[in-house]
Amino acid sequence: MGTTLRVLVAIPAYDEAGSIRTVIERVRTSLPDFDLLVVNDGSRDATGQILTQLGVVTTTHLCNLGYGRAIQTALTYAQRCDYDVLITLDADGQHYPEQVNTLYTEHLRGAWDVLIGSRYVESHDYSQSPLGRRIGMRIFSWLVRMVGRKHIYDTTSGLKIIRRSAFKPLTRWHFIDFHAEAIVYLLRLGYRVGEYPITVAERRHGQSMYSLLTHVTYPLKTLLILLIGVVEAELTRRSQR
Amino acid sequence: MTTQGTIVLIAVGLILLVWILDLVRRDRLYVGYGIILMVAILGALLVLAVPPLLRGITRLVGAVFPASALTLLALCFIVFMLVYILAQLTVVSNRLALLVQELAIRQADESPRRPAAKHGPRPSEGRSGVDR
Repeated sequence: MGTTLRVLVAIPAYDEAGSIRTVIERVRTSLPDFDLLVVNDGSRDATGQILTQLGVVTTTHLCNLGYGRAIQTALTYAQRCDYDVLITLDADGQHYPEQVNTLYTEHLRGAWDVLIGSRYVESHDYSQSPLGRRIGMRIFSWLVRMVGRKHIYDTTSGLKIIRRSAFKPLTRWHFIDFHAEAIVYLLRLGYRVGEYPITVAERRHGQSMYSLLTHVTYPLKTLLILLIGVVEAELTRRSQR
Repeated sequence: MTTQGTIVLIAVGLILLVWILDLVRRDRLYVGYGIILMVAILGALLVLAVPPLLRGITRLVGAVFPASALTLLALCFIVFMLVYILAQLTVVSNRLALLVQELAIRQADESPRRPAAKHGPRPSEGRSGVDR
């Protein structure tokens, strides 16, 4: 494993008191060489107290800003503290930190700017997801392929490895949840985005960040930002020529 | 438009004008917003005070009655203001989010648990996109 690189594992957390302790303990055991940051996104439950007890470096949003902003805080922190790589991980315990080492090795081997831990890249099978989500996944995967000219099967994965080179564009522009819209933006700018297979566990604690309303608004917002992102990327490319 | 209707509308316009000036004076309304509202009210008063202007606008927008033309203009102004206010709200919301993020990062910076940044030669970062 590349020991010369400084790696930060960032976990955005909102009301994850039920799972955050286990996730942090597993990250500390599985990834002892990496620094850890938790972005407490204005949690109203005991998440903050648990983080203090565990002695984790925490950035605490005074109010809930949403997943996208939490990731952006982690990116800004990583950029300012001179990290070479940022690994984002969900706080709900769905990701296995043990798999991050393999993903990280692939990230270094493939020189990816962003490597996504993907649930579907091997099986191409979305049948485990609920119908609405399945349709959304297929549509956004197809959109990324059409607009970004690359097939990304899992556009909504929270497990990503981001190289320092991609910190700047990801903090400069606004994204909804750093999903399809961010992937297309980076691809259009010429960055290398790839996928590597992972498995995920069932969520046991807390609630999904997607409510009934966001199931309707999320695809529309993502679609709009994705399309504006294509124009924005093109303008950026032209200004840098 | 009847003379009575015109007088009532002009009176309402003047009252609004005085109210806006008072709000700006007491620092309860940002001077920029005050200007926009005052320009709109003065424009409406001008249209009401000069009947040929109102008739011209009625013909221009294809309305049958002058009152319909005025309603259309008012609606356009409301939509414009709505977009403007939402844009301003977004600006304020973004500033607030930045402030919250900055505070969060500073709090972590001051944490004794934070590992010190390493300085020195950076390892090769491999292939790159255009935005480096």
